[in-house]
Amino acid sequence: MKKFLAMLLVAAMVFSMAACAKAPEAAQPAATEETAGETAGETAGETAETAEAPKDGKVYKVAMICDSSISDGGWGMSCYNAMMDAAAKHGWETAVSDSIEQSAYFDTIDSYCTLGYDMIYAPGNQYTDAVLQAAAEYPDIAFALLNGAADTPAKAENGNVSSLLPNATQIGWIAGALAGLMTETGTIAFIGGMELDTTKGKYEGYKEAAAYVAEKAGKTATTLDIVYSNSFSASDKGIEFAKAMIDKGADVFFGDASAVDSGARQAIDEYNAAQGSVKVFDIAQPADLLGQNECIIGSQVTDNSAMVGSCMEAVEAGKLGGDVIYGTLENGALSAGAVSDLVPAEIKDQYNAYIEEMKAGTFMK
Amino acid sequence: MKNTKMISLLVPIISVILAFLIGCIIMAALSANPAVALQALWKGAFGSVRNIGTTLSRSTPLIFTGLCACFAYKCGVFNLGGEGQFIMGSVVCTVIATQCGFTGLPAIIICLIAGAVAGGLWAMIPGVLKVYRGQNEMIISIMMNYIATLFMGVLFTNWLRDGSVPQTIAVPDGTRLTRLFGLRATSAFIIAIAVGLIVYYFLFNTSKGFQLRAVGFNMTAAKFNGFAVEKYFLFSFLISGMIAGLGGSAEILGTQFFLINGYAAGYGFDGVSMALIGQLHPIATMLVAIFFAALRVGSTTMQAATGVPTSVSDIIQALVIVFTVAGLALVKLPEFKAFTDRVFAKKKEVA
Amino acid sequence: MSWDFISNLLLASVRMATPLIFLALAELYSQRAGLVHIGLEGLASIGSLVGFLVSLITGNPLLGVLAGAAAGILVNMIYAYATITLCAEQIVYGMAINIFAPALASFIYRVYFGAGSELVQVSLMETLASRMGITANGFIAKLFLDQTPMVYLAYLLVVFTVIYFNRTKSGLNYKAVGEYPKAAATLGIDVIGIKYTASVICGALAGIGGAYLTTCYTTTYVDGNIAGRGFIALAAVIFGRWNAGGVLIACLFFGFCDALQIRLQVGSYNIPYQFFQMIPYIATVVVLAAIGMKKAGPKSCGKPYRKEEL
Repeated sequence: MKKFLAMLLVAAMVFSMAACAKAPEAAQPAATEETAGETAGETAGETAETAEAPKDGKVYKVAMICDSSISDGGWGMSCYNAMMDAAAKHGWETAVSDSIEQSAYFDTIDSYCTLGYDMIYAPGNQYTDAVLQAAAEYPDIAFALLNGAADTPAKAENGNVSSLLPNATQIGWIAGALAGLMTETGTIAFIGGMELDTTKGKYEGYKEAAAYVAEKAGKTATTLDIVYSNSFSASDKGIEFAKAMIDKGADVFFGDASAVDSGARQAIDEYNAAQGSVKVFDIAQPADLLGQNECIIGSQVTDNSAMVGSCMEAVEAGKLGGDVIYGTLENGALSAGAVSDLVPAEIKDQYNAYIEEMKAGTFMK
Repeated sequence: MKNTKMISLLVPIISVILAFLIGCIIMAALSANPAVALQALWKGAFGSVRNIGTTLSRSTPLIFTGLCACFAYKCGVFNLGGEGQFIMGSVVCTVIATQCGFTGLPAIIICLIAGAVAGGLWAMIPGVLKVYRGQNEMIISIMMNYIATLFMGVLFTNWLRDGSVPQTIAVPDGTRLTRLFGLRATSAFIIAIAVGLIVYYFLFNTSKGFQLRAVGFNMTAAKFNGFAVEKYFLFSFLISGMIAGLGGSAEILGTQFFLINGYAAGYGFDGVSMALIGQLHPIATMLVAIFFAALRVGSTTMQAATGVPTSVSDIIQALVIVFTVAGLALVKLPEFKAFTDRVFAKKKEVA
Repeated sequence: MSWDFISNLLLASVRMATPLIFLALAELYSQRAGLVHIGLEGLASIGSLVGFLVSLITGNPLLGVLAGAAAGILVNMIYAYATITLCAEQIVYGMAINIFAPALASFIYRVYFGAGSELVQVSLMETLASRMGITANGFIAKLFLDQTPMVYLAYLLVVFTVIYFNRTKSGLNYKAVGEYPKAAATLGIDVIGIKYTASVICGALAGIGGAYLTTCYTTTYVDGNIAGRGFIALAAVIFGRWNAGGVLIACLFFGFCDALQIRLQVGSYNIPYQFFQMIPYIATVVVLAAIGMKKAGPKSCGKPYRKEEL
């Protein structure tokens, strides 16, 4: 009896759920369809403004997954905005799941795939395995992997993965040149989010450019060893890292750790306020964040939107991937953002000259 | 007596309905149509064969930790360390699968057994401290969860790290479990069900199982009757830890393949909730685990389809637990018993 | 190791210990009334979000802290009702709070701010030094003056708690409820009343601990910002042997471990940082293993209290 009741009970639970979901569907099928569209737009504001009439009548849909928050004032925000801009331009519908656990990458991608999304946008090298796994299971869906490795598209047997690969070394250069020019203590710092190859690349570029530029200016710039927050949300960790690095003499900061960077900026601003003048600076990425915090003196800008856009065009043309789309200073996908007034005019000029050298391919040569 | 049983079985059903009702009100307040949202939830979880596969695969680790808690609680030990034991099972399994270089069925079996042993040993720590030092096993097993999680962190950031990303090397193809009908669910699910059936058979149909339940039901009486209570406690810890550890290795070989940040987070507490909602019955626990997995798988679809944040699904899950546990406590209160007795007595009088 | 390194390390330890002190005191008040509460993580998360929102809307961090406390109390009443009146299993209910409250917090944040991608920042509570218009230089000045009022409150609460539990009649009654509720009831102590009071205090302190993070520490709110502090606080209560003084030392020690871990990473010592993060948990297990059953906290902890059977 007891056994039977226990079975009955749980069966009832599962069916109560089914009933909740099924009954209204039968009652008002037409109405629900309509509201589905409406609610999606209203509650989350996720439907992009249609700027261009969708070609051949099909509305394409792109979904982004992100392990940091899209309101982190850094990486997540910029990548989200890039998708929104590209989608607005191409008339795509969008959706996003942010702050997801690293162990939930695949499951989240999987649910968008089953919902019939045309493209999955995964902004980060850390999604590589999940993307490849999903790409194998859903051959008809395109996957755009920002910071994917150059050999990742070849690994996808269905040829439906594209790597969007901004040149990490050049990203480091853009920030490093400014850091090298601005440092007075001769010590600069980098806070990494996760120990990824792209992050290491940025760090190396940052370090070598700063050292080179400083030497030219007759001083030295040593970069503290890279630290990793291993989290994109722990802004308190960012505060503690920044304070510890300031204590070690660092006066220019760069990093790619999402909300952790916001924490670092908070600590830098506090330190500057206590000193009475802005002595410690931060360089932002991957969008122009000048003005968000007082300490931000410049930004490294990556035009992710153009790269995502070119993936969208490929999908519309029926090509699901297989490409590596490089983002470099030369092709304009990478650039330096506006520089703050805290940077003296002559340094600004020197900095711009270095950026031109980078574009021309003569930097450090 | 029969009446009280009926009532305690009604509690989870009412709790689920209440939780969904509140969930619907929240969704309506967000000007989303609850019917559409729930429909998307259902579709995401059971809408297609593929989705059912995903749901079953998500339920597999929950079944293991649920059975771990179920077994322990039934035998009177409150093992909250399912998560730590699950992780230690995964850790040992990953190390063996990636380092020993063997493949094939024997390798899989060795990995699974090693994981189970690791989970069992990890569970013995709170077990020994409870039995020989008289400590609260709940607190200690919670602490052991954190130690296991951080230890796993050392592995994927340092010792067993895979080149460019903070995760461990993936287990070789030759040690992975086979998929069922090409779905995401693997033979790990079959193992989970088998373990559940064995636990059920053992607890309710063997004399040893009866003794364990007797110790769990009334320790003082069992002691009085000459049971070596300490031995039973240690045995219960060992077995429940082994179930969790086996789950960990099956999850690694079946779906996850490598250790990564956030892996298994919350599985232990989830397992305890499921065991309690399933009223410490192994079969019911497994079904509850599938129900919760469905809620989780469906919630992503729900968010994608309607823009209702996935946290609504978390709130519904939490409310199911909140209501059920409170409800089960309520029906055990003497006042409540007196009340129902009065009601039924009156009914009889009328009849 | 220079003096600078040590003094900065100590300052960081104090900074990182403060939220732990609030949370650990919350746990202490709860356990002293016989209620083990593993749901602090949840209470703090809702306190943290409400504190953030209120200080954002009103521009007053102090109101944020008060609102955080109120939110903590409100959520903890669910726990109190279930565990005190309904006699539900305390640990399980704490766990349910841990699932429920963070989901609620995340939900409120998302609904309030929509799917926007703007970074929302609040202004933090001023430190005593900046309120007095002075710049704190030097270790001593920074340690004693360059702190927000909440830090002083935390230490005052510790002192108050020590006196309350050891020197006042009411405090002894309170402790009696945690040790021998039945005996306490025969002496005319309102056991149920004290347990509810304990839950109010616990909810308020845990809410303040959470709100501290968003009103005095970081200018932003992120889901999961409590990051295990609730469980470290639980460990601190055990490590501090259920005395406010001991709890304070435990919190400072755990804060020190955390600060050290960060600074060693910056100094690029190649010890996996997780080993430092394990210290609070290992220390707790070792302490429990060493002290044995007789001294392991209030005796009625975890046991439901029922008035005489009908």
